[in-house]
Amino acid sequence: MRFSLSRRNFLKMLGFGSASTALSSCSSEPIDKIIPYLIPPEEAVPGIADWYATLCRECPSGCGLLAKIREGRPIKVEGNPHHPVNRGGLCMRGQASLQSLFNPDRIRTPMIKRESGDFQTISWKDAEKEILDILKTKIDQQKTGEIAVITPLIKGSLERLLKKWMDAFHIKNHLIYEPISYEDIKEANRIVFSKAEIPLYSIEKAEMILSFGADFLETWISPVEYSKAFGNMKRVDIKRQLIYIGQRMSLTAANADEWISLKPGTEKALILGLIHFILKEKLHSDLPFLELELIKGLVKDFSLDRVSSHTGVSQQTIERIGKEFSKANPGLALGGGIAVKGLYATDISVAVNLLNYICGNIGRTVRFGHEIGIGRVNPYRDMLRLIESIEQSRLKVLLLYNVNLMYNLPDSSGFQEAIKRIPHVISISQFMDDTAKEANLIIPSSMSFEEWGDYMPRKGVFGLQQPVIKPLFESRGFGDILLSLVRSIDEKQKGQIPWNNFHDYLKNSWKGIHKDLSPEIGFDHFWEGSLRRGGVFRAETDKEVKLSTKVSLDSKIDLKDKEDEKSSTLLLYPSIKYFDGRGANKPLLQEISDPLSKIAWDTYLEMNPETAVALKVVEGDFVSVESKDGRMELPVHIYEGIRKDVVAVPLGLGHIEYGRYAKQRGVNPINLLSKKTEEISGGVIWSPIFVKIERINKKKSLASTQGGRRQFGRGIAQALFFSIGKGILHLKTEKDIKKEIKEGKKRDMYKPHPYPEHKWGMVIDLNACIGCSACVAACYMENNIGIVGEREVIRGREMEWIRIEKYVENKGNGLDIRFVPMLCQHCENAPCEPVCPVYAAYHNPEGLNAQIYNRCVGTRYCSNNCPYKVRRFNWFSHSWPEPLNWQLNPDVTVREVGVMEKCTFCIQRIREKKEVAKEEGRRLRDGEIIPACAQTCPTEAIVFGDLKDPKSRVSKLWNSQRGYRVLEEINTKPSVVYLKKIKREI
Amino acid sequence: MRYSKDITYGKVNTDILKILEKPGKIYYFLLFIVLSVLSVGVFAWVYQIYSGIGVAGITHPVAWGIYITNFVFWVGIAHSGTLISAILYLFRVSWRNSIYRSAEAMTVFAIMTAGLFPIIHLGRSWYFYYLVPYPSQTMLWPNFRSPLIWDVFAVTTYFIISFIFLYMGLLPDIAAVRDKAKGFKKKIYSLISLGWSGTDREWRHHSSAYLFLAAMATPLVVSVHSVVSWDFAMSIVPGWHSTIFAPYFVAGAIHSGLAMVLTLLIPLRKVFKLEEYITQKHFENLAKIIIFTGLIVAYSYATEFFIAWYSNNIYEQEIYKYRVIGDYALYFWIMVIFNTIVPLLFFFKKMRTSTVSLLIISILINIGMWFERLVIIVTSLAHEYIPFSWGLYRPTWVEIAILAGGFAFFALLFLLFVKVLPAVSISEIKEQIEPPRKGES
Repeated sequence: MRFSLSRRNFLKMLGFGSASTALSSCSSEPIDKIIPYLIPPEEAVPGIADWYATLCRECPSGCGLLAKIREGRPIKVEGNPHHPVNRGGLCMRGQASLQSLFNPDRIRTPMIKRESGDFQTISWKDAEKEILDILKTKIDQQKTGEIAVITPLIKGSLERLLKKWMDAFHIKNHLIYEPISYEDIKEANRIVFSKAEIPLYSIEKAEMILSFGADFLETWISPVEYSKAFGNMKRVDIKRQLIYIGQRMSLTAANADEWISLKPGTEKALILGLIHFILKEKLHSDLPFLELELIKGLVKDFSLDRVSSHTGVSQQTIERIGKEFSKANPGLALGGGIAVKGLYATDISVAVNLLNYICGNIGRTVRFGHEIGIGRVNPYRDMLRLIESIEQSRLKVLLLYNVNLMYNLPDSSGFQEAIKRIPHVISISQFMDDTAKEANLIIPSSMSFEEWGDYMPRKGVFGLQQPVIKPLFESRGFGDILLSLVRSIDEKQKGQIPWNNFHDYLKNSWKGIHKDLSPEIGFDHFWEGSLRRGGVFRAETDKEVKLSTKVSLDSKIDLKDKEDEKSSTLLLYPSIKYFDGRGANKPLLQEISDPLSKIAWDTYLEMNPETAVALKVVEGDFVSVESKDGRMELPVHIYEGIRKDVVAVPLGLGHIEYGRYAKQRGVNPINLLSKKTEEISGGVIWSPIFVKIERINKKKSLASTQGGRRQFGRGIAQALFFSIGKGILHLKTEKDIKKEIKEGKKRDMYKPHPYPEHKWGMVIDLNACIGCSACVAACYMENNIGIVGEREVIRGREMEWIRIEKYVENKGNGLDIRFVPMLCQHCENAPCEPVCPVYAAYHNPEGLNAQIYNRCVGTRYCSNNCPYKVRRFNWFSHSWPEPLNWQLNPDVTVREVGVMEKCTFCIQRIREKKEVAKEEGRRLRDGEIIPACAQTCPTEAIVFGDLKDPKSRVSKLWNSQRGYRVLEEINTKPSVVYLKKIKREI
Repeated sequence: MRYSKDITYGKVNTDILKILEKPGKIYYFLLFIVLSVLSVGVFAWVYQIYSGIGVAGITHPVAWGIYITNFVFWVGIAHSGTLISAILYLFRVSWRNSIYRSAEAMTVFAIMTAGLFPIIHLGRSWYFYYLVPYPSQTMLWPNFRSPLIWDVFAVTTYFIISFIFLYMGLLPDIAAVRDKAKGFKKKIYSLISLGWSGTDREWRHHSSAYLFLAAMATPLVVSVHSVVSWDFAMSIVPGWHSTIFAPYFVAGAIHSGLAMVLTLLIPLRKVFKLEEYITQKHFENLAKIIIFTGLIVAYSYATEFFIAWYSNNIYEQEIYKYRVIGDYALYFWIMVIFNTIVPLLFFFKKMRTSTVSLLIISILINIGMWFERLVIIVTSLAHEYIPFSWGLYRPTWVEIAILAGGFAFFALLFLLFVKVLPAVSISEIKEQIEPPRKGES
């Protein structure tokens, strides 16, 4: 066949061919919707993060934050090192706060409740009109006494604005409500020192701390501040000790040198017995004679033998504590924890004050004049009065801002019924929680990351909160809402409140602070400096206090309420994860296992093993717990750290509404509380609650991350024991260390890896680690780790790259709980590397054991061969319901199903800082690279750095006399050295 | 091996080719059951790929479970086929002639079944080819230090050699089928018989090739399962990291494979009336070897325990204690009793000669051997170095379905084989009987 082609035809075909090829690539579909900045803001470079200082509002402690902004979104928060409360540390609730901002169940628009009971979206204009109608009607009828405003603690400019606003609307009733409050401490200080405030406790300075149920490492007053102080205290001198006295070994007690268990309700007797002993033996500090006699009179019935038989604590123990505490220079006695908030809460705090006073601690570790914010909260008694006025139809309008009263008030208070009688309930909140569900009108308020604000946790600490993202939805800041409402009333009032938005008001309000603190510099300079720093902070001087001549307390020794012999005492405590319930809607807080029980996603009843045997229950069996005022059914968790006659339930779950993660999950034990308030302070009676426990025919598998509970001599969590006479036993000597290094080299078959530039290593001080799991939360947020949910956690598939392992030892002191943060050890002889068939696990030239996600086929041999079991497999692909995925870190891959992952020593941070150093033409500085876990640790237990730099902190600690490596004998040569915990031998 | 006098060449052909006749209702019924179970297994696998491997029960720390158990189990079964067909050939053991064909077919099908599981158990099965050494754009070769890559080589080699060996032995028999076949089937058999015409020259080449292949296959019997056992022995997992694993696994493999041969042959013999060819003596001999391998397996168990105690290594000691009295103690005791005690029954002649007891004991041995693999894998992983990470393994329906599907796949292949190719070697039986005189058939 001949094919003839003329030149002309050939060129035609060529042209047609190329044209059609070109045309086919022009599609009618629009190209990708990537819209780069047309005119980018000066500071915003895509790929480089901006940091803004703001505040954490997850609890009343008021820690400072640094928010990392990437492409307009905050993706990580860290503690602000300049803020005097947290000084750079941040607890797990703070780390999870971005999940509040990006929570898929946030209220997005104003809503009004129709007759059918459903909510309907309305516009802001309509919503404001509704509120104004109600308020104006009440003003016209001169019945503004029927309006009440309830807010949480909002010290600062917002509170001032609220006062002004209430004046403008003639509203008089304002209650500040915090479910966990410390009225008893405040009242006790009024009684003993004529100063009704909560003092500042200098834990760092104390040589000995006696905590009577005060869980200062978990939720008591300001946990991050006190955790940091505790870490520092322990670093100063190993002889410093913490003794915890309570019925339950809380996390704070687990980190104490000694846990003294005493019969429920007998704390007061013990403290007064101690005072009695100290006064008798004349171990007290110099006191005026009259005061001495006054106190002696108060404690004269509390002789040691009576106290000992009453409390169940042996006389020798009380004597020993008395001697040591009085010798401590200074010591610190803490009270007012929820465990002692019972019928005699104020008396107990009075006793604690007296104990501190006679040992000379007032003014040294107990410091007044700092006006701790939480002291300004209204006591429960005031809430009951409010409910009474509702019941008597004296209250017709309730304006609620960020409070979940339906959940936090017990059923016995009557609020749940009463709220239904109020014709107008306006809820200004962020989530559809149990209370918002009862409202008639819901106004969405912005999260702290979306609005301006300030917060003064105590005198001299002016934290400044700036927004780091525009409101995601149609919410507005509370201040802006108030100002917008005010604009619609008469001119006279407007004159008092001329600001258009809260930012202006805030700035104006800060002019006052500026004049007070730094009048020498210009306001703009001051304002900008405060924004950068996260506020302005000034050390305040203490105020001296004197012992009041009218000190008194109930001096009867036999103080127990009548109780049934067969009943147990129920102890409630705020969970370190959920606090008072507000943390339950964040999936991260649900997923991280509770530091002590290692249970996630559920509420449980902690029960002593012997009690469980008597009731014939095992872990996971359900029991019914019934008090005079309520009943609940929940599974049992066996815990050695609780007395036989006591059971405990953590607060925080049991919401009926509150988003998909919190809804219908767990039980709310608050409903077992009674209506009674403590007489003097008016606070809730948290304990004792007498309950009857019965086994019921139901069981479940608890989502526990703990496998075996003991170490079986494997040396994973090691401790050194020390006693005053003998010093630290079995401390390594220099010779031992040199020998270890030499022998380590002999055991190698192959040449060691060459590390040309850096060799990353980590040292974890177990003496500083308190097990709070903040590092776990930080790691999740930094590394886009998936939340697997309860069902998968039950199967053991949680994705914790760093986990806090908890082991129980029964050594001489009784119950000995040890915490070990376990993360990838980045072994030099990593067993996971040779067995991966596809080279997905490889040893990088800087000493890291790197995991190449896109190479991994998922044979899982590496995880089998890892003796530390730190490799986590993606059994499914994870999902982050919008807008939770906005929080994902763009520097870290999101892994798909079938891929193995593990701790990378935050290699993205290492890379980032290396590039910065390269651009600036300098070497890396020690401490410049800090992984997420090390950065957030409140006690600074984790140290990371370059082992090739002999001057780095990590190099100096590497060959510490307390150092050891986990499973050293199998010669994996980990890059993580642990420093043994120092425990006291009694 | 003496067959009865009235067996002639013609009779051999007739009897054995009768197996290939059109199947009856029972065959179709069995085929239906096997296909149903297989389709459930396939569905389970597709579901697993679609939803993610998390639908299986494997978890932290027990990251290997039923799938790897199946892999090792099926590879193990394959070995005794080669033992009978290759090693016994080299030793000139004459009684192997009538049984080796089914055994060798069992080997090939077992390897095919086993080869599925490394792909099924992968988290990202679609990237299984990363384990194959091919020149890739990423310039990455697999990690040759990893025992899993050694597996790839070992199992692939074993499959190739066994398949060629089987095919080689089948050639004269395929020719016999071709001669009797008609129509379209004749064309197929002509194709795969490679033009075999039974000349003297062909027979000479055939026997030397066969001898050569037998010699090549022999070391594989020992090496392949040693390599598979090194998946475990080369790790640091307590209970796995033991030098006895290679001989232990090889002995166990032969043990389970012989039992599987019995399980297959007994029904085959009964259904197709092959009593004259596969005699009681054959089964007795197999039973005697089973006693031997059972004793080796018992010795291996004892050695493991002794070394664990002797080593004073707390991790090893804890594992063995956990196996005996821990969460999986039931599986452990099934394993010990079915593998070591039950085969001892073969010491009694009555047990060795009754087909019912032979069938039951062989099935029990296979159950025991499957549980042995499960016990080794799961108990060691569940109870390793860090007590906080100890966990349990609970298989889900997906794994059980795929387990059943694996057996169904094997059964399907064997059922098809039986009807397509002669399950007893015609040519080798003919080697044992008097050749026909002139005029006879």
